[in-house]
Amino acid sequence: MSSILVIGEADGKEIKNISQQVSAVAAGMGDVVGLVMGKNISDAGMKLATAKIILADDDKLEYYDPVKFTSVVSQIVEQNNITKILMGATTMGKDLGPRIAAELRWGYLGDCLEAGSEGFVRPAFAGKVLARSNPEGSVVVSIRNNAYPAGESWSGSVENFSGNIPDSTTNTISIEKGGSGTVELTEANIVVSGGRGLENPENYDEHIRPLASVLNAAAGASRAIVDAGWVSHSHQVGQTGKTVTPDLYFAIGISGAIQHLGGMSGSKCIVAINKDPDAPIFKVADYGIIANLFDIVPVLKSKLSN
Amino acid sequence: MNIAVLIKMVPDTESRLEIVDGKVKEDAFKYMVNPYDEFAVEQAVQFKESVGGKVTLVCLFSDNPGIDTDLRKMMAIGADEAVVLRQEGYRGDKPSTNSKILAEAIKELNADLVIGGVQGIDYYQGATGPMVAHHLNIPHISGVTKLELNGEKITAKRQIEGGLQIIESTLPVLVTAQKDMTKVRFPALKDIMMSKRKSFENRSVSASEENDVETIECSLPPARDGGLIIDGESPEEKVDKLLEKLKMEAKVL
Repeated sequence: MSSILVIGEADGKEIKNISQQVSAVAAGMGDVVGLVMGKNISDAGMKLATAKIILADDDKLEYYDPVKFTSVVSQIVEQNNITKILMGATTMGKDLGPRIAAELRWGYLGDCLEAGSEGFVRPAFAGKVLARSNPEGSVVVSIRNNAYPAGESWSGSVENFSGNIPDSTTNTISIEKGGSGTVELTEANIVVSGGRGLENPENYDEHIRPLASVLNAAAGASRAIVDAGWVSHSHQVGQTGKTVTPDLYFAIGISGAIQHLGGMSGSKCIVAINKDPDAPIFKVADYGIIANLFDIVPVLKSKLSN
Repeated sequence: MNIAVLIKMVPDTESRLEIVDGKVKEDAFKYMVNPYDEFAVEQAVQFKESVGGKVTLVCLFSDNPGIDTDLRKMMAIGADEAVVLRQEGYRGDKPSTNSKILAEAIKELNADLVIGGVQGIDYYQGATGPMVAHHLNIPHISGVTKLELNGEKITAKRQIEGGLQIIESTLPVLVTAQKDMTKVRFPALKDIMMSKRKSFENRSVSASEENDVETIECSLPPARDGGLIIDGESPEEKVDKLLEKLKMEAKVL
């Protein structure tokens, strides 16, 4: 009997929510084996929502390394008769998935919006096209955050990985944290994005960041203001930036160029605030306010703070 | 230092996307160099300018000659030569097949560093780079925002959730570039003229192994209708109405 391998990720003492989402998807497809790799990840790893959990908890796995992690996964695949591997489309998943697929000579489907026994749907052209497939052969799949509800932890069987961990010629020296308290765009339930309507970078700091902070949201940006150097590229939403699918997306002072729409139109609910009634963003928004953003955003922030 | 740069030709972002019989209509596409790959070219040229060596562009595409002018622009930035692998039936959504072909060509170059863009802006899988590295049996670092060369080692800053992973690696290694890695120069007229004399080799190739998943049907995402425009006498009234909708109707707050 073949099984599905879910690769989970620890975030401190907790298992990442995306990993629980992937576990829930896998449970609908067959027998599931979970794997969590890292250093001091056993407490978090045991929370993964799969019936069987393998923990690879080792000093050598402290930082993500594609060569080491691929080796651990391929040993587990061999021992457990795995025919599908599922993981979250995180920065690790999107990096590790292809390398595992190359090692195993399997197919790869990245950043899927739908996954199940009926097949997979992934976005192409920044979400402007959806591509459906139903592979017969073995496949490695990464699944986008917020596409599915999270699975609940349960007490399954736990074992420790006892195979080899190879040496690697790359070495992580440190992790530099971004600005404190910032929520990662691709993991956020709410995203507050600003565009050229803000007029200058100071207004991004004065209006977008505080509103994001009140909502415990991630701060996003249009390409125009990233190219202008107001904020770093890590904030950019759209075709040459990140694709986000939060429950709630605020587009503030963003006209809605097609490249931007591609990166956010999969959001569950979109709010647009713009003074130009003809701005294309209103064509995709669930709720629009046609007004000067400087009149609306301070009121919005103060009402949300209460 | 020998540097190989992976170049993907992708449909222009202004391309009209039309679906006919479950397939994207591609015959009217115009192709351009994938924007992320331009950062890779610039970084490779900067390394060559500081330590010497050679920068070779490696591109896999169909027989369509319409891409040559755009590739020449990358040579005007400072790449020394281009090897264009011509495959009948080439498709941009076959990373397994494509990475195998690319790796075969790169093996001959004895590259110390292989560098490409983090992803193609056509299929966004970010898969070809890591797969090429695997076939070359070298490590890879993806999504790098800053890359430094210190003798026989590189130091890379890789974008991860909430921060940066700082990684050191010996050579050879494969790196994929995130947008912030470099600022791509505008070539001077003399460099554009010079680029026309650089080596541009077309080589016919075929796939040896295919593991890619076949797409069975493409569709356009369901169109979102324009929603409700919220009216009100004052900003307060508009905001109150919006918040009520978000709480009671959309249930997202």
